[in-house]
Amino acid sequence: MRRHFEEQIAECNTRLAHMGAVAKRMIGKSIQCLVDRSAEGHDEVFRHEVEINSLQIEIDKRVISTLALQHPVATDLRLLVMATKIAGELERVGDQAVNICQNTASLLKHAPAEILTNIPEMADLVREMLRESLEAFVRRDVGLAQRVLDTDDKVDDFKDQIFFQLLGNMMTEPVVIPSALALILVARNLERVADHATNIAEEVIYAVQGRDVRHRREDAEQ
Amino acid sequence: MRHFEEELDKLQRRLLEMAGQVESAIHGSVRVLTGRDEEQAQRVLRQEAHVNQMQIEIDEVATHLLALHQPRAGDLRFLTAAIKINSDLERMGDLAVNIVERAIDLIRRPPINPHIDIPKMAELTQSMVHKSLNAFVNRDAELARGVLTSDDAVDDLKDAIYRELIHFMESNPSTVAAAVDLIFVAHNLERIADHATNIAEDVLFLVKGIDVRHHAETAEE
Repeated sequence: MRRHFEEQIAECNTRLAHMGAVAKRMIGKSIQCLVDRSAEGHDEVFRHEVEINSLQIEIDKRVISTLALQHPVATDLRLLVMATKIAGELERVGDQAVNICQNTASLLKHAPAEILTNIPEMADLVREMLRESLEAFVRRDVGLAQRVLDTDDKVDDFKDQIFFQLLGNMMTEPVVIPSALALILVARNLERVADHATNIAEEVIYAVQGRDVRHRREDAEQ
Repeated sequence: MRHFEEELDKLQRRLLEMAGQVESAIHGSVRVLTGRDEEQAQRVLRQEAHVNQMQIEIDEVATHLLALHQPRAGDLRFLTAAIKINSDLERMGDLAVNIVERAIDLIRRPPINPHIDIPKMAELTQSMVHKSLNAFVNRDAELARGVLTSDDAVDDLKDAIYRELIHFMESNPSTVAAAVDLIFVAHNLERIADHATNIAEDVLFLVKGIDVRHHAETAEE
């Protein structure tokens, strides 16, 4: 019984690690397409999304059947609930990569404009957060998870700066308005990927320390 | 067992109480914009803080019930649906706050007043939220399916609003900042509608035991 449970958890974790690697690759590919002004890699991103979606459903099914058959308690239960939550976050990261492709497609309808801003750098930072949050999960590393939470502020700074610059471009050069808007939406997509990485890191801290750090930042602001 | 059913009832009541707060927060956030009513803003922020607390509490209760009573079949599906709906509701609360932030920005500027369908989109989104929750309360699969259909209409409205605002900015570049704020309001409404859709999907899972996410339904039937 115990061994069966551990096998199930291990199966979920293998799939989560795979989901995470795919999600990170999707973000990288979608941003590469944006930088290259090419939609050629989009099909690859869309194929990965199908893969990620079915991995999520598979993890959920495994968790529900383990819950029903094994009646886990305490830590085991928490691990299972955490697996479905992380799968949900990664599935949403995949959705964001697809959205980046869609926003890139609308950008490509317009003449090139030299307004890429710091989006590639922001994307690198976000992918690093994603990688660290998954590593924190695999290694149950609270310190690394905490680092992810701290990096989220830097991502917000990037986003503010990119928004400011693009709004300026739109006002002084109305011809770039549709392109700049598409880029604003991409920056927003990246910000949301960072939020998902942050949620994963919060789950790790909760799982390891039993301390709920969700809404921590909002509380700090009040 | 008797006791367990009471606990499940209590959990559902608590979830619906939270849903009421979320619906009211969404309504309030739209009012800030359409009624240029800044006083609503504080109320929405307070509600969201309350919603966050309730989310953690409901999560704990649901996980505890899973562990303690080892439910099967219908009760197990109810608890997993409750955990998911709880998280969708919390995110809707966040989105209402996002709308408030944009709305405050907007009402402090001179109104740009393009003819756009934000109020219509807000109305449709709120009715989706309401229907998805009613579908949950009444375990009504038909109503849940109706929510899934409305989601396409919300997406179409959002696309139309985007197009209109882009035109508007191009002819009046001084309104760029305000128009982008409105685009984000539309974006946040669309995401609220997505969460209502998630709830409707959870209701279908709860009632029929089928997973309709990502069109997995066809594979399972």
